[in-house]
Amino acid sequence: MKKRLKRLVCAVTVASLAMSMLTACGGGGGTSQSSTAQTTQAADLKAEDIIKKAAEQGKVGNWGLGNEYEVLALLAKYNLPTKYLSQDFTMDGFDDDSILLASAMTYNELGLVKNDYDGGYKYGDKVKYIDMNDEGVAMMEDNIFTTKKFAKENPETTAAFLYASLKGWEYAVAHPDEAAEIVYKAGSSVSPDHQKYMASEVAKLVSTNTKGEKVTDIGNMDDSAMQQTLDIAKKYVTLDDATANTKFKALTLDDIRDKTFITKAKASDGKFNIEKKSVKIQLKWLPQAQFMGYFVAVEKGYYKEVGFDNVEIVSGGGDIAETTAVNNGTVDFGVTWETNLASADASGMDLVEIAQIYQRSGLVLVYKPEKFS
Amino acid sequence: MKKIKAITGTKWFSSFLWIVLLIIAWEVGAMVVAATKRTPENILPHLYQIIAAAFSGKKVTGDMTAVQAVLSSAGLTLIRALLGFIIGAVIGFLFALLMKMSGMVEKILFPYLMLIQLIPVLGIAPIILAITGDINISRVIIAAILSFYPVAANTLAGFKSVEQEKYDLMFIYAAKRRSLYTKVLIPASLPYLFTGFKIAAPMAVTASILVDTLQGDGGLGCLLSQSLKHAMSIHVFWLIVFFSAFLGIVISKVIGLIEVGIAPWRRRV
Amino acid sequence: MEREVRLQKIGRRKTLRQRAKENRKWQKASTIVLPVILGVILVGLWQGQVLHGWFHTDTFTLPLLDKIGGIMFDIKDKILINTLSTVSVAFIGLLVGSLLGYLVAVLAAMFPKIGMGGLSVIGAFASIPVVALAPVLNNWTKDVSSQASIRSMVSKIIVVTLICAADMGLNAYRGLTEIKPFSEDLMAIYAAPKRTVLWKLRLPNSLPYVFTALKVSVPASIMTAIVSEYFAEYITGVGRQIRENIVLAQYSTAWAYIATACLIGVISYVILMALQSILLRRYH
Repeated sequence: MKKRLKRLVCAVTVASLAMSMLTACGGGGGTSQSSTAQTTQAADLKAEDIIKKAAEQGKVGNWGLGNEYEVLALLAKYNLPTKYLSQDFTMDGFDDDSILLASAMTYNELGLVKNDYDGGYKYGDKVKYIDMNDEGVAMMEDNIFTTKKFAKENPETTAAFLYASLKGWEYAVAHPDEAAEIVYKAGSSVSPDHQKYMASEVAKLVSTNTKGEKVTDIGNMDDSAMQQTLDIAKKYVTLDDATANTKFKALTLDDIRDKTFITKAKASDGKFNIEKKSVKIQLKWLPQAQFMGYFVAVEKGYYKEVGFDNVEIVSGGGDIAETTAVNNGTVDFGVTWETNLASADASGMDLVEIAQIYQRSGLVLVYKPEKFS
Repeated sequence: MKKIKAITGTKWFSSFLWIVLLIIAWEVGAMVVAATKRTPENILPHLYQIIAAAFSGKKVTGDMTAVQAVLSSAGLTLIRALLGFIIGAVIGFLFALLMKMSGMVEKILFPYLMLIQLIPVLGIAPIILAITGDINISRVIIAAILSFYPVAANTLAGFKSVEQEKYDLMFIYAAKRRSLYTKVLIPASLPYLFTGFKIAAPMAVTASILVDTLQGDGGLGCLLSQSLKHAMSIHVFWLIVFFSAFLGIVISKVIGLIEVGIAPWRRRV
Repeated sequence: MEREVRLQKIGRRKTLRQRAKENRKWQKASTIVLPVILGVILVGLWQGQVLHGWFHTDTFTLPLLDKIGGIMFDIKDKILINTLSTVSVAFIGLLVGSLLGYLVAVLAAMFPKIGMGGLSVIGAFASIPVVALAPVLNNWTKDVSSQASIRSMVSKIIVVTLICAADMGLNAYRGLTEIKPFSEDLMAIYAAPKRTVLWKLRLPNSLPYVFTALKVSVPASIMTAIVSEYFAEYITGVGRQIRENIVLAQYSTAWAYIATACLIGVISYVILMALQSILLRRYH
């Protein structure tokens, strides 16, 4: 009796464990063949058709968390319902076809999808993408910002920081491979291959504008691009806090950016009378070539040249947003996107953009052409 | 035959049996996944792949291999978790004592202790960051807050488990209030205290890993989100998953050992 | 201070029960009145911005209560949808997990040789941080349903289940095995079969321990549900809203959801307490 019961219990547990594993992992057989079977490709699919098809199935993906507005604007442009799936910061959903049209940054996820180094999905040129810049819904991304109070109290520090940072960016754009190396050595855990890919793509974003024209004036705050960003943001961002929402809709460019410091930095001969000798900059994400300009400026001593004793680069990638960290004074400068800055200001923060590093949107929607032919 | 029985009868054997079962289940799953998915290593890699990743000398960051990266960030996380745990446990015990000493304090505070536990970490984190101005101190404090409640609640339950007869006995001895606590209440609460520790310690580690992800700057949580984002070999992610599970087990075993060390009632068993 | 001491002294005298009976009304009332008084004081400090001074923070990170309340009222429909999602995940996970944990505990108590191992395995699962479990289960549940909302819910429930199972397993095992020696002897004298011992002695004895476990796992299930929402594929739930709003620096709205999370916790705790008083009374 005892023995039998024991055996029964054993058998049942084994069986249930095996079953649960099988149900969790099985059933994927049907969808996986297609990826290898693609041989013929429709010559040129129209972006509109692709977006419509993916949206009809509800398989457009984005990370949310303030990254979604370009996608929403794009969907609205083609009169589609503005709904998307949440992507989880990996491209697994795209890989297993639960997302047909997946968000990717040119310098990061797109590289992972295409390339075959560690962490890559090895699709090569089998995937294509829709560029937000081409679709006219580009929004401005990585900038440099600080609080209005800090900028007012430390005008020389702010200008000097910009001067050295922009010098770092100029060097990085001219020598992306070396910049990638510097970032990697500075403690990034992104693989060196991916770092190099990222650096070359970031260089393009910094030196090309939304229309695809070359930009030599790094850090320039282009009025039309910034206005387009703000317009799209006003249309698609709804803040639940009614007071903040009203304020947000009333924001103008002059509320969120200040050109005096970059003008001062550009006109300067590199000599500053710095008020605060030790400053910190908060990145928007993990340390990687996305932020290579600052790492280069540290490595090459550009910050020291203008009179800083120490510039600390604080890694981001967490849930304490860069806007919060700058606003509460834990750090002095930060890197964020225009929309984040605008919505933070609307709800009571005191932030101001002082330079626009990325001149075009890095967001693309990547797809497998065979899914749409 | 007898020898076999002797082996199967030990406590270790049952754990061993379960581990073997789990490994079999995992490998079966991995085989199914490998046969049906395009990138099986993201979903369920074979165990040997993870082990191979652990021992490979390939550098995943500037100057560290996978294991070095995991261990060094685990060190950071563990120190924060340990500090937080100690602070939380001490405060938790003191609060329980205070609540036992005065029924009024218990009535006033207990609902609020519950409430603190229920405030999502992410909600309090920015405020704590604003107060301390330092992300690492904030991490320790949050770990302390999360390990505080289980210790307080369990210790209080321990104090309350003392039977009326023991109070009566102490009353007959005309014992002082102090000796009531040192001779009866605190010893009686120890097993409960350790139960509290066993819940709180993994929680402190979990909290510490979770709070790592709040801002960059090192730690297992940072590495986890980096590897999860495919910034490096996905096997690093699996290493972290296994390592953190291993940590959890080791921690509860260590607490068990400490319990045996200082608490005589466990030695009998 | 004086009152505290007096209450304590009463506690040590034999007249405790009489006194308590006399004061029952006060006793009952005080469990509600006292926390409420503290609550009122806290609200006052908060609304009067005294707390802000202590914590060196501003009304931006720690918005005033009327503002939070106002937002909660404005977006009550949205809050309700998210609350439902979080509560259902937490509750189903809690239920399944507690049952599973109890079952393992019973197995461990009846067949210590096999069961003990199972208990430590479950304990090990609980030691895996939620942050690591959630993304893994996200990937494992991809084939459960073609609907992202359903599969992401399943994955969240499994995470909560694992956490609750461990808590219940460890506690219930103690309840099932730590039995007063004389009652075990009594059962032995009766030559009661194992099953009877289980039904008549072990199970009733474990009930208070079940509630001890629940007292930890009810808040834990809500916390776990909230944390696993951060990683979930489908954007819903109180936790996810907190994160979205904090990243967008919308602290007032985030606080509205934090308050909601606290409310969920408090209400579920009250329900648990009510259940405990009903069920445990029947046994004594």
